[in-house]
Amino acid sequence: MKKFIPFLLLLGTIWCCLAMTDSRVAVVSGETPVWEVLRSLGEPSPNHLITILPEKASVAVGRNIVHFGSNKTKAMKQQSAHFVCTSCHNTEKEFADLRETDPQKRLDYAAENELPFLPGSPLYGVVNRSSFYNGDYEKKYGKLVLPARNNLREAIQLCAVECSQGRVLKNWELESVLGYLWTLELKMEDLAILAADYNKYTLKSEDAADLIAEIKSYYHTDSPAHFVATPEDGKAGYGRQGDASNGEHIYKLSCLHCHEDQRYSFFDLNDGKLSRKLLAKHFPTLSYYSSYQVIRHGAPSHPGKRAYMPQFTSEKMSNQQVEDLRAYVTKK
Amino acid sequence: MLAGSRSPRKLKFMRLFFTSFLILFFVSVYSQEKTKIEYRTFKDTRVISTQSSETLPAGKMDFRISHRFGDLAGSNGGWQNFYGLEDAADVLIGIDYGATDRLTFGLNRTKGAGPLTRLVNGIVKYKFIGQGKEAGSPITITLLGGASLSTARRIDDPELLTNFPKTAHRLIYNFQAIFARSFSERLALQISPGYVYRNYVTQEDENGLFNLGFAARFQLTKVFGLIVDTTIPFSDLRTSDNGYYLPLGFGLEIDTGGHVFQINLTNTTGLAPTDYIPNTRSNWADGEFRLGFTISRLFNL
Repeated sequence: MKKFIPFLLLLGTIWCCLAMTDSRVAVVSGETPVWEVLRSLGEPSPNHLITILPEKASVAVGRNIVHFGSNKTKAMKQQSAHFVCTSCHNTEKEFADLRETDPQKRLDYAAENELPFLPGSPLYGVVNRSSFYNGDYEKKYGKLVLPARNNLREAIQLCAVECSQGRVLKNWELESVLGYLWTLELKMEDLAILAADYNKYTLKSEDAADLIAEIKSYYHTDSPAHFVATPEDGKAGYGRQGDASNGEHIYKLSCLHCHEDQRYSFFDLNDGKLSRKLLAKHFPTLSYYSSYQVIRHGAPSHPGKRAYMPQFTSEKMSNQQVEDLRAYVTKK
Repeated sequence: MLAGSRSPRKLKFMRLFFTSFLILFFVSVYSQEKTKIEYRTFKDTRVISTQSSETLPAGKMDFRISHRFGDLAGSNGGWQNFYGLEDAADVLIGIDYGATDRLTFGLNRTKGAGPLTRLVNGIVKYKFIGQGKEAGSPITITLLGGASLSTARRIDDPELLTNFPKTAHRLIYNFQAIFARSFSERLALQISPGYVYRNYVTQEDENGLFNLGFAARFQLTKVFGLIVDTTIPFSDLRTSDNGYYLPLGFGLEIDTGGHVFQINLTNTTGLAPTDYIPNTRSNWADGEFRLGFTISRLFNL
C-alpha cells in the first residue's frame, strides 16, 4: 500500500493543479458580473479591461468626474463648462429586459423608476458593450467615430471633447472614469435569465462559444442609433394622435432634466403654462425654435456655450412620443 | 462733510441693520440648501436700475452692457438731440460672475451721471434665503454690498466734490437687503431697504442716505415681461423743491435664452445705485426721461 502513496499524492497534485487552472467560476449567482462568467467561458478580454489603476486614479475620482465633471479639488480642472456625463447618460439600467430597444418601454421604465429620459445610452453596462457611436453617429461626427467605434477609451474622449465641448481627459482621469464604469457592469441578475439556469454557465462543456453567444443575446453589445427627419408638414407633424399623459412624462423626465433652472442650457423651461405655451407655439413652425427641429437635429452651439443639444435618435424617442410631447405642451 | 459725522439715530439703524444681517445669516444656514428654491423670481440680476434678488448660477459669467440716452423730451430733448438718442447720459460695461449659486461678484465701469464720474463699481451679492418651490421660505432674501470708486481726474478747486483731498473721498458705498417673492409664474414683487454712504459730500448734504426700493415684474409671455422699479431716498434735502425727483423706470424685458434684452424708459441718468439714488434730478413731468437698454449675455466658464 505504501508504494501507492507517492502515486496517489502525484494524482492529487495533478487534480489540484487542474482544478486551479480551470478559470470557470465555481458558483454563478445574480450578483456575479456578466463579464466574469464570459471570461470563465473563454471570452477574450475587451481592450478597456482594467487590471490595475495608475497612480492618482481611483473609482471615487471616476465617479466624481462622471457625475460632477471634476474631483472637486483644485488639482483637477472641470472637464467641461457645459455638461457632465450624466447630463445625457443615466448610470442606471433603462430597461427591465435589456434585450429591449423600444423607446416607449424605456420611457415607462424611466417613469416607474424616476429616471431621466435622456438622448444618450446608459453608462450602466457600457463596459459590457463592444461597439460605440453606432449607426448614424458617423453621419454626425464623420471619421471621428472610427477610432471610437471599437474602443471605449476613445469613445469617452470623443464624448468629452465633441459632445461636452470640454477638454481631453488626462490618462489617470480617463482610467478613473473607466474604473468607475466597471462598477456599473452588468450582473447576471440584470439579464432575463432564470436563476435556475445560472449553473449551466459553470459546467464544463465543449459549447462555450454557444454559451457566450447565449449570454450576449440577453443584452446589446452596441447601441443602435438611427437619425430621424423632421416631419414635412409641421402642422400635421408625424400624423399621429398624441397622448398628453405620456407627453407629460417626456416633458418632465427629458426636457426639464436639462432646461429647468437652466441646469445645462441657457434656455430656461419649467412646468408652467408660459413655458409650454411657447413650445406649443413654435412646434408646427419647423423653425429653429420648433421642438421637431430640436429633438430630431439637436440645437446648435452659441457664443458662450459651445456645447450643443444632442438629438434624439429613433431608438431614444419615437415619432409617436414626439407627438405625445406636442399633445402635452398644447394641452390647455 | 467727511466720514465720521454719524448721528446716534443712524448708528442705531446701522446696528439694527447688521444685527438683522447676522440673524439672516444664521437662519439661512439652517434653512437653506436642502429646500428646492424658486429660481428666477426676476429674469435678470437687475430690474431696471435697482438690483434684483437674483444671483447667477455657479460658474456662469454675465457680460452686461447698459446705456441711458439723453432726455427724450423737455428742454434738453426732442428733435435737437433726436429724442435723446444722440446723447449718452450713462454707459455701463461690466461682468458678474457666479462663484456659487448663491454668491455673485461683479465689476463694472460706468461713465457716471452725478457729481462723481468715471466710476468703477464692485458688487458682492449673496442669496441668503431662497423662496421654497414647494415648501420653505415664502420669500427670497438677498444681501448686496457694493462700492464705487470715482476715477475722475482731480480738479484743484475746493468747492468741487472732484477736489478729492483724500483717495477715500472717491468712494461711495451701497448696501441693500432685497426681499422678493414670486406670487405666480407671472407676477413677482420686490422691496429693498438700502443705505448709500458717500465719503465726501457738500456741506448742506449728508453722507448717509437711507432708501427703500420697490420693483415688480409681470410676465406677459415666456419671452416678454413688463418691469418697473423705483427707489425712495429718505432725505430732507431730496425734495422736488431742491430739484431732486423720485427715480422711476418702466421696461420691457425680452428673454431669448442666454440673452436678456431690456428696453426701458426712466428718469434716472446714472446706472450705478451709488450714482442714481442720491443724484436723480430729472423729472418725468418735465419730459426728462430717457430711453435705455441693457444687454446681458451669459457665458459658461
